[in-house]
Amino acid sequence: MPSFILFAFKRFLQLAAVIFAGTSLAFVVAKLSPISPVETIIGRVTNRASMSPTAIQSLRETYTELFGLDIPLWQQYLNFWGRLFTGDFGPSLVAYPTPAIDLILLALPWTVGLLTVAVILTWIIGNLLGGLAGYYQNSRLLKAVGVVAIGIQPIPYYIVAFLMVIIFGYLWPVLPISGGFAMNVRPGFTPQFVLSILHHAILPASSLVLVGMGTWFFGMRALVSNIVTEDYVTYAELAGVEQRKIVSSYVMRNAIVPQLTALAMALGGIFSGTIITEQVFAYPGLGTLLIRAVNGGDTTLVLAVSCISVIAVATAIFIVDLLHPFLDPRVRVG
Amino acid sequence: MWTIIRDLIRYNIEFAIGAMLVGIIVIFSLLSFFSPYAPNDIYVVFPDQPPSAAFWFGTNSRGQDMFWNLTFAFRNTLFFGIMVAVLSRIISITVGLLAGYLGGWVDRSMMFVNDIFVALPIFPILILFYFVLRSDLNMFTLALIMAGLGWPFDARLIRSVAIGLRHREFTRHAVFAGMSPAKIMFEEHLPYVMPIVFSTAMANMIWSIGFEVTLGVLGFTNLNVPTIGTTLYWANNHSAMVVGTWWWIIIPVALIIATFLGLFLLAVSMNEYIDPRSRLRRMGGE
Amino acid sequence: MRNVTTLLASLGLAASLFSAPVLAQEDGAVPQTDFPREETLIVHNPEPAATNPSMFNLWVAGGGGNVSNGLQQLMMDTLWYIDPDAGLDGAIYNSLASDLWQYNDDFTEMTVNLREGITWSDGEPFTADDVVFTVETQMANPGLAWSAILSENVESVEAVDDHTVHFTLSQPNARFHSIFSVRWNALWIMPEHVFAEVEDPLSYDFNEPVGLGPYTLHSFDPNGFWYIWEKRDDWENTTVAQYGEPGPQYVIYRSIPAIDNRLIDMVNGDLDMIHDLTPEGMFSLVEQSETSRGWFPGFPYAHPDPTLPMLIFNTQNELFSDKRVRWALALMLDARQISMASYRGAATLSAIAIPPTGTHPADYHAPMEEWLVNYELDLGNGETIQPYNPNTGAEIADMVRPQFEDVPTDEAAIKTAFGYGWWKQDIEAATALLESAGFTKQGNQWMTPDGAPFAFTLKTFEEGVINRMGTMVAQQWSQQGVQVTPEVAPQIFGQDLPLGEYEVATAWSIETWGGHPDLSFFLDSWHSDFVVEPGERQPSRNWQRWEHPELDALIERMRVTEFDSEDNLQIGREFVELMVEEMPVIPVMSYNVFSAYDTRYWTGFPTAEENPYANIVTNWANSRYILTQLEPAGAE
Repeated sequence: MPSFILFAFKRFLQLAAVIFAGTSLAFVVAKLSPISPVETIIGRVTNRASMSPTAIQSLRETYTELFGLDIPLWQQYLNFWGRLFTGDFGPSLVAYPTPAIDLILLALPWTVGLLTVAVILTWIIGNLLGGLAGYYQNSRLLKAVGVVAIGIQPIPYYIVAFLMVIIFGYLWPVLPISGGFAMNVRPGFTPQFVLSILHHAILPASSLVLVGMGTWFFGMRALVSNIVTEDYVTYAELAGVEQRKIVSSYVMRNAIVPQLTALAMALGGIFSGTIITEQVFAYPGLGTLLIRAVNGGDTTLVLAVSCISVIAVATAIFIVDLLHPFLDPRVRVG
Repeated sequence: MWTIIRDLIRYNIEFAIGAMLVGIIVIFSLLSFFSPYAPNDIYVVFPDQPPSAAFWFGTNSRGQDMFWNLTFAFRNTLFFGIMVAVLSRIISITVGLLAGYLGGWVDRSMMFVNDIFVALPIFPILILFYFVLRSDLNMFTLALIMAGLGWPFDARLIRSVAIGLRHREFTRHAVFAGMSPAKIMFEEHLPYVMPIVFSTAMANMIWSIGFEVTLGVLGFTNLNVPTIGTTLYWANNHSAMVVGTWWWIIIPVALIIATFLGLFLLAVSMNEYIDPRSRLRRMGGE
Repeated sequence: MRNVTTLLASLGLAASLFSAPVLAQEDGAVPQTDFPREETLIVHNPEPAATNPSMFNLWVAGGGGNVSNGLQQLMMDTLWYIDPDAGLDGAIYNSLASDLWQYNDDFTEMTVNLREGITWSDGEPFTADDVVFTVETQMANPGLAWSAILSENVESVEAVDDHTVHFTLSQPNARFHSIFSVRWNALWIMPEHVFAEVEDPLSYDFNEPVGLGPYTLHSFDPNGFWYIWEKRDDWENTTVAQYGEPGPQYVIYRSIPAIDNRLIDMVNGDLDMIHDLTPEGMFSLVEQSETSRGWFPGFPYAHPDPTLPMLIFNTQNELFSDKRVRWALALMLDARQISMASYRGAATLSAIAIPPTGTHPADYHAPMEEWLVNYELDLGNGETIQPYNPNTGAEIADMVRPQFEDVPTDEAAIKTAFGYGWWKQDIEAATALLESAGFTKQGNQWMTPDGAPFAFTLKTFEEGVINRMGTMVAQQWSQQGVQVTPEVAPQIFGQDLPLGEYEVATAWSIETWGGHPDLSFFLDSWHSDFVVEPGERQPSRNWQRWEHPELDALIERMRVTEFDSEDNLQIGREFVELMVEEMPVIPVMSYNVFSAYDTRYWTGFPTAEENPYANIVTNWANSRYILTQLEPAGAE
């Protein structure tokens, strides 16, 4: 179907443009930062030594050149794009000369691992409960779930996370409250290591699930309660179709399409990390890396994290757009 | 308008509760104008006192009376939320109506920009702004930034409604009658999208206040301005959770839950108002 | 049910992503070690998790590795250590050096004798060549942290024999040895046999590290949250051996960014030493855990570090160039309220420009108190006042006594804990001073001689006690008609202070050895040679950019005065008097760190009251001596 190819091509152009605009914006904002990496490092070098002003000046020139900041901004921008295509973001400035991408690759698996699980679990639980609550509108149990969800939803995430630390690490200390895995376990493809990772992920992941569930719950409940009033559901009910089948095939299946779209976007969004989760649970990941990079004036690292984030979200939207016609037959490619 | 609200309060318990909760919080925040203490002064009362008849909400470890301190915090936070909501509504209405009514290349280019904004990672960008602006990042600047980031989803929603309106009979009549596009959009179409505008405004406030709290807890806002976020920041800074000054955390959290719950109920009930089918179901008595 | 299939597929995807961290790690075959608590000391490292976890080359400035993760405490060594407290056998330790520094008469040469029989952790013997290599490598690579100061001071360095090093200096400097004397850190000696093989010492990560300390690296978190160190089998070949065998077989240093988690971990028995808590956290910890305590057995708990939090005036700013204005601002303050607001009363105040810690009170605060009591301040209107109140510390002790147990009552103990006196709050005198400086008061607002409102911002830390101090000071000044806005500056030492982007700041420009009266550690850098023009970068530590001919004369005298001499102490006291006279900074108190330790698994920690042999603040390299005194608690 050539119309689909044209559509896909258009969407791809849009993807490229979104990535270009997003990363350029990140570049500009990052370069506006008043924290100069050169000054930061000079501060560290001169911490102990009473250096003469001329010695400081020569040090400043050395580092400015070393960091590639001695050329005009537009040239830095071109260099940035030149390198970006090879996946190279340049050396990190807070961990000079380690490549920024190395630091990201170290943190990325943790963020992606934790958040993928949390987002998907949240999505499943929220939608399942929400869908049921939308269909069985008189169930007391599901109404109670709704009330709890409404109650938790507005609590700042920080508070929820910290309460879980207090409850499960302090009042009833049964779960680890910090780190990605236990200190006595050596990283490797061993059952102990995997179990230790899962063990340490319980608290951070469930805090995310608890807080994130509400949105899906309410969204799905609203969608389903609309669909329930559609004629074909009424006909199915009249025709004596099994209720479980109505819920799964007639109601949920139609309501799930917009929720899947939103899921893809949520998955794309995980690349900016969850700074608060990482702070509260001392969990490794991209969020903390980003904060440290911003604090140290590390424009390379900030840009790298932001770019990956923009690319991930844009790509997720792109994929959803492409899949949409297949998922929802009502959408016709135009 | 008033009859709508009266109907809502009468037939929709959710709206009534929501309006009451939001009303209480608004009145509470207005009390700040009568506060006996300046918002930032510390050690004006004896620290760490639990709630009592003298100090309804207790005092914190900085020697502030939490009752009066929170009136300032809620005033600033609410003002911030409303400002973001109003500004981002203006953008989303304009973009949504223009794109929906005019269609064609206007629609395509606007939705193109829209999609760029959707793809931006909001939190990293906010943190970047903080480090660029630092103490210049006051509530107003932050509200402008948040408004600049908080419109695209709602603009798309409004656009989809506007597309539908474009093909309606009355629009064609208006065109034949020689009404200018601007007039059609803002006089004929705007009233139709207003319910969406209101309900998304509530959701937008929850969203922006949530970010304010998150930024505040991390210390990435102007810490000299009392808000819900900075209140929690200072509580955390004095280990309130583990040293037993629970009122420093529980009370602001309870109040923010009341606020969000109120806004949420208002949004939900307005959504139902928009969708007459579910309203009829409700009024028909289930 | 196609949905279920979709869901299962997503779950599978999630599971595979979840195990992704496994793929990111290398080596899997290392046997698992359990760290039995009776053999393991668990220490809190205040650094955030390392950005570049496998970086151990701590000579590079800004490599992204951690430093106080045990690396500098347990693996590094250098010639001397000067303790911030009393020390095991006096504050000065001869570490790699076998005795003290030896200068020639005009302080242009220094000779060091080295200890024999010391080996690197890989078995190589330590010799004078390592010291020479270290100095020459630093000088040859400007990106290394100690390069500049060595280049400015060293003419040449040579190994006279295997255990003697001779330095020829480019200018007289009686304090050259301080480069090799640990106060928090110092220039660590590099292993020549490792670094000589390295092409670029700036990009070398030094993983596995080779050191002279009693421990070696056992393992570390690939994400930089923890580092585990194991006692060397040949610990007897290291310099701490003379004080006994280090107790723990393993030492774990952990980064714990969330402050409350530290408390929780200690209460749960998962942490033996905490670097710092909030004051409130400290009070709560000792209430909840019987085995936990701070430096002092009761209130005020915290360890006073030899660092002096103060109000720093930017003296290049015209507003603060007049000492009458600086004095007036000092007299507007109420130190008791500042102590309560910042430290909940647990501050150790100091009216003079010397931290009231370690051996300093005996050298400065006590002997100079009489001079302070009699000190007369000229108000400029023909009147003089005696601004010093010797009882401020005692007054604060009285204020906190109803609230806390164990507040000392003995006068000497009060002075150790709460400090000696401070300046009286004297609004009348402040008014007289400001008026004589040409300021006028309109209503409750002071106006500058130019007729503008007297208003400025006070930059302060973004959290902790220093932030609270700044907020309180700004409030007190504002109440007296000077419009002061506190502003948090997260990069205050990296950006605001060195670049002079501030009017008044709460920070410190005075840090001392603590266990020794010598002031060169900060004072040398206060020479006017180092003061730059406004807008340029000020080298540390004269952040106030203050110049005074008498100050230069004192510093020049100090550069040719024996470190360990009565003359040197005399220079210090003259410095104190000059600072009182000029008030370029308002000294407030010592930087008291709410460090805590738990005696559930280990005993033998230093205490303020009985055995103050070392600083319990964990990130100081000097804290390594504590390990030699530790014994498992179950041992008796």
